[in-house]
Amino acid sequence: MFLLPLWTDLTTSFKDLNDVIYTVPVQPPRSPTIEPLLSAFNIMARPLLNSLAFTVAATILSCLLGSINGYALTKIKFRGANIMFLLFSIGIFLPYQAVLVPLVLTMSRLGLYNNLVGLILTHTTYGITITTLLFRNFYGLIPDSLIMAAKTDGAGTWTIYRRIMLPLSLLPFVVAAVLQFTSIWNDFLFGVTLARGSEAMPASVALANLKGTTEFNWNIQMAGALWYALPILIIYLVLGKYLIRGYMAGAIKG
Amino acid sequence: MASITIKNLTKKYGNTIAVKDLNLQIKDKEFFVFLGPSGCGKTTTLFAIAGLVKIDAGEIWIGDELVTSIEQGVFKPPQQREVSMVFQDYAIYPHMTVFDNIAFPLRIRNVEKDEIWKRVEKTAELLGISSLLNRKPRQLSGGQRQRVALGRAIVRRPKVFLMDEPLANLDAKLRVKMRTELKKLQLDLRTTTIYVTHDQVEAMTMADRIMVQRDGIVEQIGTPDELYNHPSNLFVASFIGSPEMNFIECALAKEREGLCLDAKEFKILLPAKILPKLRNSIGEQVIMGIRPEDLYESGSVDGILQGNVLRMTVDLVEPVGPYLLLHLRCGQISLVATVKETNVKTGQEVIMEMNLSKIHIFDKKTGKAIT
Repeated sequence: MFLLPLWTDLTTSFKDLNDVIYTVPVQPPRSPTIEPLLSAFNIMARPLLNSLAFTVAATILSCLLGSINGYALTKIKFRGANIMFLLFSIGIFLPYQAVLVPLVLTMSRLGLYNNLVGLILTHTTYGITITTLLFRNFYGLIPDSLIMAAKTDGAGTWTIYRRIMLPLSLLPFVVAAVLQFTSIWNDFLFGVTLARGSEAMPASVALANLKGTTEFNWNIQMAGALWYALPILIIYLVLGKYLIRGYMAGAIKG
Repeated sequence: MASITIKNLTKKYGNTIAVKDLNLQIKDKEFFVFLGPSGCGKTTTLFAIAGLVKIDAGEIWIGDELVTSIEQGVFKPPQQREVSMVFQDYAIYPHMTVFDNIAFPLRIRNVEKDEIWKRVEKTAELLGISSLLNRKPRQLSGGQRQRVALGRAIVRRPKVFLMDEPLANLDAKLRVKMRTELKKLQLDLRTTTIYVTHDQVEAMTMADRIMVQRDGIVEQIGTPDELYNHPSNLFVASFIGSPEMNFIECALAKEREGLCLDAKEFKILLPAKILPKLRNSIGEQVIMGIRPEDLYESGSVDGILQGNVLRMTVDLVEPVGPYLLLHLRCGQISLVATVKETNVKTGQEVIMEMNLSKIHIFDKKTGKAIT
């Protein structure tokens, strides 16, 4: 039942226009063709590349910054750490729609409207909230004595981060990366408001544009959806094992 | 190699005072133990020396280097103090091999590769973990992890070792073994060592000198022998020694020429030697302390001249192995005595004698030792 839409997507992607009209969606194509896939790719190639670029960049940035934040919030005792964390947490609940107008204004003033960098910045900022929470919770489980030992061993704040915390954070990195990649890749709202032009248009927006205004090329739309879903599918296949471990694992033991 | 001087150290956590106005001088090459029940401020003091906590008042010197001073606004971060530390949970880096763990402090200091190899190998040999160098910490037993943590502390040849209950997580047998090894190691390396523990046996066996702390206040500083034989107050007297010292409340009264302790159930005539110190307390309530091994079954040990006999009932006989514990009672007073051997059984009466040269007398109000 759950896989039925995926199946429909697959079957329709390989149908020509006649098949689309004369067969039921779940029915396999009578004369299979890769034509729709090719034409969808022609339209989607640039947006897919755009999406890949800003998604990867924003994922890496938000994970890295989240991890540094988490380290600072748990292992460096500073005044206001709790308030800071509270503010981060509030950020998670901030609805996208609420920031749209100021966001567009800021980005256009900065000259980053219709620009990949603008998208990277926006997604990174939005992502930091959730990655910070994730890393903070994970780093809370790493015993403080480990940090104190590193300090007396002669390591400074950054050395401790680089040589102790970072190597211990593979699991939260995988979890945060998958989470971020999926949510940034799937985002439509920021994409459609910040990058309508072709230079920076994300794949999600391009996919929506496939649905013309007068004609319905179901097969091409379905093929586009297939292309669009591919990276996420690959991510889950490659990292799924770690993801489950990351969700399950409480901590590494010191 | 360095001495440590602490002047007027005070540390507060919120409104609670963890350490209050501590003054301390630790000599070069000394094995110094901070002893006390949990929450007494011993670990806080240790962390203050390491620079892991910021103090509220006072000065700390390592050798002739001022590392913390509130008045002069000096604070050297831990990485600039030449101290190394061993933690209760070992705190070895889980993602590194044993070799990398021990080499870590050297790598941070950019020591040359060949030199690192040499020193790590030598350290591992010293600790008997040469065969484990390629293992990860999770493949090691508790005792082995302990050695790795020690290795990491030793390898950089610091001025001072700081140890925070390093043996507390080991099982009883291993703890005794490591205790001896640690002491030998310190005698070999001759590095000033501060060792924190709540275990008085560990403190007594390892320390050159001990500081007993309670509620952030120093109760006594002295050699194990001084603490055991001349405790300066009731707390130290009861904290050091197992089984615990017996305490009897009594009044100090005049008796013919001398003085006696009147405990209602019996009177104990005091030896002339200690009388001068007691002159000011005549007529007051005091607490007498006597260690279990200073109580004898009458006639069982020859050559005890004082004829202070206590007639007591045996409540329980506990064989410990090398000695027996006699739980004795006489009216409101109950005492514990350790004896080599005995024929008495539970419920029987027994005549006990005490070694009067070993009794301790404390002021009841202040808890301070009078003799």
